[in-house]
Amino acid sequence: MSSLTAPRKGTVEGIPRRRLHDWRKPRWFVPLLFSGGALAIVLVMTIFPFFNTLILSFTDATMLRPGHFTGIDNFVQLWGDARFTRALFNSTLYVFCVVPFMVVLPLILASVSAGDGKFMGFFRTSFYLPVVMGAVAGGLIWTNLLDSRGLVNGVLSWLNVISEPVPFLTDRWLILISAMVVTAWMGMGYYMVIYLAALANIDTTLYDAASVDGAGPVRRFISVTMPGVRNTMALIAMFSSVAAFRVFSEVYILTDSSGGPGGNAMTMTMLIQREGTGLQAQTGYAGAISLVMFAILAVLLALQLTVQNRQEKDA
Amino acid sequence: MMYRSRRFVLSGGFAAAALTLTGCGVATDGAGGDSGAGAGASDGEVNGDITFQTWNLKGGFEEYFTQLISDFEEKYPEANVEWRDLPAEGYVDKLSADAAAGNLSDVVDMSPPAAYTLATAGMLVNLAEAVPEAEADYLPEAWEGMTFPRLEEGTYGFPWYLNTGPYFFNTELFEKCGLDPANLPTTYDELFDQGDVMAENCDDVTMIGHLPTIETLGEYGVQLMDEDAAEFTFNGPKAVELIRRFADLYEAGGFTDESLNNLLTGEVDAFKAGQVASMPGSAYTLTELKTTAKDVYESVEISPAIANTAPSMAIHTLVVNESSKNQATALAFAHFATNPANQMAFAKEASIFPSASGLLDDPYFTEEDSTDESRVRVETAKQVAEAKVWAPPMFPEASKTFLHDQVAQAVMGKKDPQDALDDAVQYANERIATTE
Repeated sequence: MSSLTAPRKGTVEGIPRRRLHDWRKPRWFVPLLFSGGALAIVLVMTIFPFFNTLILSFTDATMLRPGHFTGIDNFVQLWGDARFTRALFNSTLYVFCVVPFMVVLPLILASVSAGDGKFMGFFRTSFYLPVVMGAVAGGLIWTNLLDSRGLVNGVLSWLNVISEPVPFLTDRWLILISAMVVTAWMGMGYYMVIYLAALANIDTTLYDAASVDGAGPVRRFISVTMPGVRNTMALIAMFSSVAAFRVFSEVYILTDSSGGPGGNAMTMTMLIQREGTGLQAQTGYAGAISLVMFAILAVLLALQLTVQNRQEKDA
Repeated sequence: MMYRSRRFVLSGGFAAAALTLTGCGVATDGAGGDSGAGAGASDGEVNGDITFQTWNLKGGFEEYFTQLISDFEEKYPEANVEWRDLPAEGYVDKLSADAAAGNLSDVVDMSPPAAYTLATAGMLVNLAEAVPEAEADYLPEAWEGMTFPRLEEGTYGFPWYLNTGPYFFNTELFEKCGLDPANLPTTYDELFDQGDVMAENCDDVTMIGHLPTIETLGEYGVQLMDEDAAEFTFNGPKAVELIRRFADLYEAGGFTDESLNNLLTGEVDAFKAGQVASMPGSAYTLTELKTTAKDVYESVEISPAIANTAPSMAIHTLVVNESSKNQATALAFAHFATNPANQMAFAKEASIFPSASGLLDDPYFTEEDSTDESRVRVETAKQVAEAKVWAPPMFPEASKTFLHDQVAQAVMGKKDPQDALDDAVQYANERIATTE
């Protein structure tokens, strides 16, 4: 006599089987609904511009004209363009000089500031501050510091170390070195945070065991910390080499957009900006430079991934 | 079958939406905007909405422009002008983005090189056809400055304000470095000779604070383009001679590494800091020195611009967008803003010089009172009559930067001056915009 009645045949708890079947059936458009927005953004902001650049690089297009197909003329012209070879050299040099510092220094900082000491929070915040500050504000601070009438030259002169200002912002090599210092200063905090996360995953008993075996702090760093964060180091090497090859803001701001006297300290991205903007922009030529840059970065990343994979297999 | 069809349509929809959203890409003929007379056709009535874009003028002259627009709207009650002022930083980039997207304002303030590039793309109204009677309202040199030789002699902008100026000398530095302030240089030869003396006697002061530009080459007597204005020719012996003078001065310590980098602002800063003894300026420069470098202002002496030929003059222009929906209104407003009364009012506000014919005879530009400002104004107004717009409109910003870099390389001794100028000429010739 219960008032409850069994579900009718063909239904689950009163829901008609056909409707239930409709909802449970995999629909081809459901993944698109979830990923559609992100896909559209990637398509519009990355994929389409990439292929557009690819097409442009084989034309003599300008900002206001579509141009004509010119084959590989732009690429041939590139190798005869002294600005391109100089920019390529400067950007490559930047990678070789900056990346080792970006891999090792943040790790040291992270190791030093990983504890729970009284001032560790303050130090970690201080190291991270330049990241929050951004490239423009940081660049302007360093411009004022390194100017011929800036604080650094003023102090050196006051200490009678120099008789003439050091040309930090007018000599090609000193501009590049100054920019590298700014890059390292701005990037260290960011990579330090990544290392801090990686350090937290290292088993602390390994340090205890190393200590028992008589290992000092340096030995523990080399034998425990570094192997423990090897994958993170490889990841940071990858990130920082891409960022270093694409350096723009630091050199642009330190040289007041000129790229140094005669454009000697110009980097690849600065050359792209110079050729690819403005009413008379040579978008075809700028596209060719971008494509070469993309190819170099792709090879660099492929090499790093190969080395990393090999190391993992060996381990 | 239905399944496939729906998927195709939805995917196609995504692709279409993406392409629509980009709104850019490989440029299409006409640069994204309607062109040709049809698109810009107007019924000749001065009415409807237009946009007026200026270059960093809101800061000091908001009242003037508000009044100007108000006067125009009073004269034409059916018309409405929306004023947009953009900051100086990135103005040309914004202009190029607007032009490429077909979003150019109806009336735009710009320089001749920018106007030339847009005119070659068919994006500006040819005033010689649209309002030929306007020519009589402007100084012949100014109208000629906006008449582009490679574009069927069309005139593509209403001349607006002109600027030229005298040379400023810091006489205290002259005395300090063993030079006679009563014998200021009047030619380039004298400038370099005295620069050598200054380099010999002073380690911390130089005579010149900027590298030669295309205008300097014109003032020095270099032929910048051939007779047909088809190609640049500023790589002759005269130009090489000028670059060598700079290189010699640099080697003697009379030109600094910082000056190799300096654009206009750097030179002014160095002059204000007492590190550079001379610089070209304008009526505005005097006011700036008076307010920001009083010590230097006290010892400043002003003399006519140094030029072996005619002194250089800059011109600003108001152009009208060919695809403006209210072209008649845009033309009327641009003409109105550049008429003698409005130019005179603006000249008094902004320390610039009018391009409208007859105004330079006004007592404001011919009679001095007891102030230094009026002395510079009168001196400069005389110079306007003989000055020339040296910078060819076919010489865009990219070519200027390239020339600057090449000259810097030559002055530092890293490149032969002839090679540097040859490269600069080749670069500039490759970037002459054409209508093809």
